[in-house]
Amino acid sequence: MKNKEIMIKIVAYVVIIIFSLISFIPFITGLITAFKPETIQIHSPPIWIFEPTLSNYERILFTKGNLYNLMNSFIVTFFNIIISLVVGIPAAYALARFNLKGSGALLSWIISLRMIPPVVVAIPFFSLAQSFNLYDSYIGLTLSYMCFSIPMVIWIMRGFCVEIPKELEESAMMDGCSRLYAIYKIVLPLMIPGIVATTLLVVMVIWNEYLIALILTGREAQTLPVSTARYITRVRIEWGSLFAANSLIVIPILILAISIQKHLVRGLTFGTIK
Amino acid sequence: MNKYYKILNNYSGWYYILPSMLVLLCVVIYPVIYSLAISFYNRPFTHKDSAFVGLDNFIFMINDPFFQKAFTNTIIYTSSSLFFTIVFGFTLALLMTKISFGNRLFQILLIIPMAMAPLVVGLTWRWMYNPLFGLINWFFKLVNVEPQAWLASQETAMIALIWVDVWQWTSLVFLIIYAGLSGLPKEPFEAANLDGANSFTIFTRITLPLLKPVILVVLLLRTVDSFRTFDSAYVLTDGGPGDATELLSLYIYRQGFFFNNQGEAAAGAIMMLLFISLISYIYFKYLYKIKN
Repeated sequence: MKNKEIMIKIVAYVVIIIFSLISFIPFITGLITAFKPETIQIHSPPIWIFEPTLSNYERILFTKGNLYNLMNSFIVTFFNIIISLVVGIPAAYALARFNLKGSGALLSWIISLRMIPPVVVAIPFFSLAQSFNLYDSYIGLTLSYMCFSIPMVIWIMRGFCVEIPKELEESAMMDGCSRLYAIYKIVLPLMIPGIVATTLLVVMVIWNEYLIALILTGREAQTLPVSTARYITRVRIEWGSLFAANSLIVIPILILAISIQKHLVRGLTFGTIK
Repeated sequence: MNKYYKILNNYSGWYYILPSMLVLLCVVIYPVIYSLAISFYNRPFTHKDSAFVGLDNFIFMINDPFFQKAFTNTIIYTSSSLFFTIVFGFTLALLMTKISFGNRLFQILLIIPMAMAPLVVGLTWRWMYNPLFGLINWFFKLVNVEPQAWLASQETAMIALIWVDVWQWTSLVFLIIYAGLSGLPKEPFEAANLDGANSFTIFTRITLPLLKPVILVVLLLRTVDSFRTFDSAYVLTDGGPGDATELLSLYIYRQGFFFNNQGEAAAGAIMMLLFISLISYIYFKYLYKIKN
């Protein structure tokens, strides 16, 4: 019995280490390539020992203008999350607290929005953006992303709201506070961890989005993923620039993902699993 | 005590929900209805020859061999990816419960693919698969396998694409199943151990039934996400070589934005949406059944 347990442990470690390496290697080799000078970027077998350079980053940020795309990504993500939280949190609160007729059906509908393929909304977004003069604008892209972010905010925040005991607001209201004041004074402070987690989860989706940005932006509002993919052309691929830009997309999200690991599952499953 | 709730039950609760619904009306309902409208016309509304053609676009798409091929490819892609991500993810989750040292580090390493943007994953693997300097061929050379042009050959392109999806999303399955396993009650397992049940019986009789809702959610998410894949496939193969890796999202995108056939593209998109809704509906129905 004892031997069997040790065997299982050894097998577990071996398998987990192999999978961890498989997960890690493509990421780290890409990151390393971003620091390689141009002459050794495409070398077989790969060169592992070299003097790291920041020239790829310098080039993409200041010569190729990716600093501007980075800023665009930041602007769109920022305004999207602010508006989504402002309209989403009250809805999440109401759906968690009030016993409204039809709220169950509404929640099912909101979760079903998670299933819509981006390409389905991409076609009308393109026509609508042109007829409303919103093509290649921050407003157009920010608004379009609401179809992903608002359902996420409502579902995830609702999960957090359910966990806040309603006796707290009730006693405040019996002491004569209005509901809105009770929400502001008592519920909102308790919501903050949930709001932080929700924000980070939505940022992960919006920051990484590619298809809608590809369709809705030209020169002005182009986000970082769209400009990154442009390093692949029919003629050649600039691997150094490509991986430098890749790392700018991935590293912030990776840090977020690790820091909210606890809430990651809840966010990804729309709060169906805690 | 509950009078506050009673008053609100009537109507004022909806004031909290109204703003978000107004936004969703503009960014989801209106676009989907607009898309439905486009699918019944031969040209965009702004075009002077725009005319109502009924179901012509749908009939065209259903009879279009490229659309059929894209549909078959998507089914193959989705089901293969689903199978492998579930098997690998489940295995990893179970093994992770057996070890006690380094769990946190392994989890961080395993999360990496999932945290990467699908676009970046596609770009990274384009480099990995490169026939001249890619790590995959370098690795296979070490074990004496001939270098391959993974993305350029009809036989291997689909496998290469499926592997990328499996690579990225195994970690998601792992993470969710592992969370599910950690949340299971201890008592049934202790009782089974006392009764002397072996680990296989415990797994099939206790673990699986208790995990059923979690497994269903994972299956649903993975099915839907693989089915609508665009980013990674677009930068890896863009449907090629020929139409060996053409997926529904890629084909609809091409129809709508490359050939400028918005009517056909909208019809294809609506059919895709209906198919996804059907799959989700079946999952949800089953989920509710086992929850009650």
